[in-house]
Amino acid sequence: MDEKLEALREALYALDGQTATAISTELIEAGVEPQRVLQEGLAEAMLEIGRRWNAGEVFLPEVVAAAEIFKQCQAIVEPALLASGGQTLGHRVVMATVKGDLHDLGKNMVGAMMKTAGFEVHDLGKDVPADRIVEAVRELEPTIVGLSALLTTTVPEQRGVIQALEEAGLRRAVKVMVGGAPVTEDWAKQIGADGYAPNAPEAVRVALELAGSERPTG
Amino acid sequence: MTVRHAAGPATASGGRVVGLPLRNLDVLPEGTVERIHAATLRVLERTGVEVRSEAVVRRLVAAGARTDEHARRVTFPPALVEEALSRAPRTIRLAGRDPACDLVLDGSTGYLAVDGNAAEILDLETGERRPSTKADLAEITRVADALPEIGFCWQPVAARDQPLPVQPLHELHAQFTNTTKHVQLTTAALPQQARGAVEIATIVAGGETELRARPVLSSFQTSLSPLTYDGPPLEAAAIYAEAGVPAGFVAMPISCATAPATRAAALVQSNAEILAGIVALELLVPGAPTFYGACGTVMDLRTGAAACGGPEDLLFQMAGAQLARRYGLPSSIGTFATGSKAPDWQAGVENGLSAIASWLGGADMLCGAGLLYGARVYSIVELLLDAEVFSLVRSMTEGVPDTDEDLAVEVIAEVGPGGHYLAQPHTLRHMREQWRPRFFGREAWEDWEAAGRPEPPDRARERAREILAEHRPEPLPPGVEDAILQVIARYTEGAA
Ligand code: B12
Repeated sequence: MDEKLEALREALYALDGQTATAISTELIEAGVEPQRVLQEGLAEAMLEIGRRWNAGEVFLPEVVAAAEIFKQCQAIVEPALLASGGQTLGHRVVMATVKGDLHDLGKNMVGAMMKTAGFEVHDLGKDVPADRIVEAVRELEPTIVGLSALLTTTVPEQRGVIQALEEAGLRRAVKVMVGGAPVTEDWAKQIGADGYAPNAPEAVRVALELAGSERPTG
Repeated sequence: MTVRHAAGPATASGGRVVGLPLRNLDVLPEGTVERIHAATLRVLERTGVEVRSEAVVRRLVAAGARTDEHARRVTFPPALVEEALSRAPRTIRLAGRDPACDLVLDGSTGYLAVDGNAAEILDLETGERRPSTKADLAEITRVADALPEIGFCWQPVAARDQPLPVQPLHELHAQFTNTTKHVQLTTAALPQQARGAVEIATIVAGGETELRARPVLSSFQTSLSPLTYDGPPLEAAAIYAEAGVPAGFVAMPISCATAPATRAAALVQSNAEILAGIVALELLVPGAPTFYGACGTVMDLRTGAAACGGPEDLLFQMAGAQLARRYGLPSSIGTFATGSKAPDWQAGVENGLSAIASWLGGADMLCGAGLLYGARVYSIVELLLDAEVFSLVRSMTEGVPDTDEDLAVEVIAEVGPGGHYLAQPHTLRHMREQWRPRFFGREAWEDWEAAGRPEPPDRARERAREILAEHRPEPLPPGVEDAILQVIARYTEGAA
């Protein structure tokens, strides 16, 4: 069993999606607790990849590739997890690039790095209207929602999302983080966001801080 | 390479604008260019581009392009690509409000632009980074108007203090009132904004026919790498083109992120995106004046940031200009776009090498003077330093003239071994051909210390203050500014 979990982690380090999904399926079919597959296999591996990134041993494309494999495996594990009444991963994060903005590289990187810190990340994509973000917050009940905007013309939309959350009565239920090249600490304060970060590692740090001050969802 | 100092076509505009006589050096062997071309045609035919507007797709299909059942993916048969490209004129004119500032892009001369749409500016006085405003845009444009090295202006910073839907129109107002040089609008990507911009340009040019003959405005739209075009920018491009306003297409791929990792594939994808835009435009508006814009870079593997400087960028600049030549199109190349955060060693190296690369490569338009931090922060100090780099390279383009007067065998005989040339008439006649720096430090160590150890940026800051205090651009003719403001008011109301 432990060797299988070790092999799963190794498959993630090797960015071998085929093996990783095969082992995930095998483990679930063999009746291994889905919680263990998720925590000790997948999440553990992402944490290690995060450590390696911090140490400069792996590059961003590798982190993103690992995050994608993680997602495929998660899809295999999750139905069993829910059926067994088990808990999903740690804190849940909803990420989106705001409406009118098609820049999604930064958001994807932040999402990938968040996974390396054990967050369960739901990516709504780019050019996402405020009402879809509100909808996702209502349904997924995340701890954090992360809003990316790269254009001076779309940055105001971050404020729009916060207002929409307020109008929907959800603002207090979730922490809002904002980022993207033209976004500043000042702007974040001005629009009443809970957190800001200039880059992905910093985003993880701030997210952990924000999550620490919140009840865990997992 | 024997252009005499301060003469020849490069300064025909009476010194208001100086250009760079181009070398048009091919960095790619012909075989490589043809392989890239063939691969591009395959990409355009097989993968095509996504066009996010059913209406535009339908218009393209009516003109010969193909699409899938969802009317989103557009593919182009090779014969259609070649035919559409042949409709585009090789030579375009970027006219200035002052005809002495007209630029003719015919492959012989390259011109430098301020550009960037940076969202922030390094404040000239505090040195701090802060959001940019319309007033900043006006100031930078005024400095650009005073610098002969600057040929034309796109929006160096965004007028962030103006309401969004009409921000591009405010940007035009700030620029047309502060320079008589050509303005290239890069921020009006919606049809409504393009209409407003054309109205303003028509007023400045003095009528529709005048605008067509001497377009005081040009524009470009960007692809969304990989291989995507939004619908509105294509519609905007057609609106510009119908008014005779040059409408270019620029790709800004980042290898390893929005483009493939290898240099060749990045060039193929970038080429496919640019050609798709130009082909689409030529199908919608046959014969439209357009240009080929390439601003490729690579992703920094560690931080994920766009590198904006480095060997790949230099190669992409030269290869971009060469590909444009292959298709008989004017090129717009991302030249100065240092990743550095200050006007420092990194900025100097990256932009110095870039200037050389774009010149040798044969860029008709060299963009980016004054940008820092990968086109996100603007600096007037950097603008002056970049202009100095440009003027240095321009001096190199004058080459080694070899008339008898230049070879000066008589003078050498007269001075002979052991003499000196200081007071020779020949020296007095020719010494002003030597390039003289404004900002490089060549003073004695003691003088430098006595002056408080100034660095080139310090001298550039001084010069910027002088220009801002002294330079008053030629005002618009009476009534024109009012007419521009009325257009803006009307579009502001329309958007509300
Ligand atoms: C790549 C790029 C594009 C690509 C985007 C591809 C994609 N799939 O994302 C394409 C070609 C599509 C594109 C299009 C346009 N772009 Co663009 N683009 C860039 C470029 C070169 C790099 C952006 C990038 O991906 N950086 C790398 C990532 C990793 O960095 P990042 O996004 O900043 O993210 C980091 C942090 O900000 C932070 N972060 C990001 N999001 C979040 C979210 C949270 C919650 C947190 C905590 C942190 C965080 O962490 C990230 C990782 O470290 C920038 C210039 C630059 N050097 O930044 C221009 C730039 C952003 N683009 C610009 C413009 C103007 C446009 C266009 C309007 C075209 C034009 N006329 O030039 C269109 C607009 C399309 C649209 N509607 O969105 C301008 C914006 C200027 C302004 N005043 O707003 C820039 C600055 C370039 C310029 N100076 O002209 N662009």
